[in-house]
Amino acid sequence: MNLQGYIVRRVCMLPLMVVGITLLTFVLSHAVPADPVSANLGDQAAANPAVVAAFRHQWGLDRPLPEQYLIYVWNLVRGNMGISISTHQPVLIDLREHTPATIELALAAMFLSLIIGIPLGILAAVRRDTVMDQLGRGVSLIGVSIPVFWLGIVALFIFYARLGWAPSAGEISPRLPLPPFVTGFVVVDALLAGQRAVALDALAHLALPAIVLSSASIGVITRMMRGSMLDVLGEDYVRTARSKGLPARRVTLRHVARNALLPVITVIALSFGGLLSGAVVTETVFAWPGLGSYAFQSASSLDFPAIMGVGIVVAVVYVLMNLLSDVGYAAADPRVRMG
Amino acid sequence: MAADASALPAPRHGWLRALPKPFVRSPLAIASCAVVAAWIAIALLAPVLVGSPLAQDIAGRLAPPSSAHWFGTDPLGRDILNRVVYGARISIPVGLAAVGLAVVLGTMIGSVAGATGRAVDETLMRLTDLMLAFPTVILAMIISAALGAGIRNAVIAIMVAWWPTYARFARGLVLSARDREYVEAARALGASPVRVFMRHILVNIISPIVILGTLDVGRAILTFASLSFLGLGPPPQIAEWGSMIAAGRDYLDQWWIATFPGLAILTLVVALNVVGDSLRDTLDPRLRGE
Repeated sequence: MNLQGYIVRRVCMLPLMVVGITLLTFVLSHAVPADPVSANLGDQAAANPAVVAAFRHQWGLDRPLPEQYLIYVWNLVRGNMGISISTHQPVLIDLREHTPATIELALAAMFLSLIIGIPLGILAAVRRDTVMDQLGRGVSLIGVSIPVFWLGIVALFIFYARLGWAPSAGEISPRLPLPPFVTGFVVVDALLAGQRAVALDALAHLALPAIVLSSASIGVITRMMRGSMLDVLGEDYVRTARSKGLPARRVTLRHVARNALLPVITVIALSFGGLLSGAVVTETVFAWPGLGSYAFQSASSLDFPAIMGVGIVVAVVYVLMNLLSDVGYAAADPRVRMG
Repeated sequence: MAADASALPAPRHGWLRALPKPFVRSPLAIASCAVVAAWIAIALLAPVLVGSPLAQDIAGRLAPPSSAHWFGTDPLGRDILNRVVYGARISIPVGLAAVGLAVVLGTMIGSVAGATGRAVDETLMRLTDLMLAFPTVILAMIISAALGAGIRNAVIAIMVAWWPTYARFARGLVLSARDREYVEAARALGASPVRVFMRHILVNIISPIVILGTLDVGRAILTFASLSFLGLGPPPQIAEWGSMIAAGRDYLDQWWIATFPGLAILTLVVALNVVGDSLRDTLDPRLRGE
């Protein structure tokens, strides 16, 4: 199969996945015993049958489930994701406000995981069973075992409360104005607006949460890169390259690392999903105004439209990342396309 | 992950005998076993080891670690050491139960998919793909928010979020076992499909699934602590590590409130992960390097 055909087929799967995702979020948030009426109306209002009936009617909660779903999907197709029961804003607007902050945080964490995890994995594999290897394995073990919310609190305590190196929680210092909304990434927006001081301040705020969030994915990527390097190091073509008398460094980087990166691409995409999960808890620790904080707030008040909106955005991002990684993998390794 | 030649595939029925070798060679694995054993002992013996996790000493609230309170006290004057010790009684069973349930559910669904094939297989596997599209914590958050906070619902949430992994794995194993000669032989002898499945397929696929599950107990404990940290676990008076850390969030200067429960999670999960890795290397080389 050629690459275009592969991409077209994968992209065609996308709408099906999205329909499935909406169905799943809908079933999950409706086929449960919890009552959104009591969660969103005060006790007094919930005791008044007229108020309750009006509430149910307004949100379509008095119709059969399949009908509620169709109403939801029809609205979704027109870009209407409903109005958040708790913020009284259209969910689409809430998501537009909160999504960039999370993507910014996740991308920063992903960047850190790559520039630390890949070299560490390479070194650990090349210097197998040395101190470097132990360090790499130690980092990956701690990385996957540490509770990210605890690491966040400890980091805030050390670097903010004690040493004063890091700014307080939040996306930007309260005294500074937010730059005009262009991309939603505060650092980028500030640079676009030519506000260097604001950009630096935002970058300083981003550093600690990004480091904390990256802990798990650094572990996963280091471990995967090491394992993949070890597999490739045993290949015949590596021995051939060595016997040709190529310098060790060149063999490691050009022959081994490039091939070892292939399976790691998939893991990178998967750990992006993990980053989005980790972002939920990290954001609550660092008062980061992203999807995680929004999801948590809407989940605790049973805000169905908002929960479904977050679920859809996150799942779609995840599916897109998977698509990108599969296509990237197929583009980089012709053997996959043949299979 | 020592891929040394000694870790050969274990003989099918003598897998316990293969256990000691790599364990003896790896001091880290032995130390980790000891840590896990110690935590289990602490959980079992909590009432004997320490005082009540609920006893309050209002005058001594927020006290730093001292000889009276080794780990200090929390904002309500409760002894943090007592609460950390009692926390093990929740996290360990919860981790085991969540993974156990997910393994059972996943194995059932995956086996049905693998054994029946075609339409049923296709439907179940697409459902599995869908579930896998959701990051665990977000899915678990939606579920436990919908069912209400609490230990039982958090366990259900983790189970619902995790079964697809085991279902996929079990399906693959069933598919590879289905056409083996001994299964064919059983069929030829006239065994019913149910008997073939239970007596000839299931017994041969269960051990890699259980190993995979063992590897995930640490992760389950972490996920449960995250849910609990987000307020979706047990009510605050119950001594649980995640919610104890959440309580320490507002008291950055009283570092001991969040630090000790966090160290408890860290030591237990690191040890579980090391034991899980060693188990995997020893028992099932097929899983290595995943």
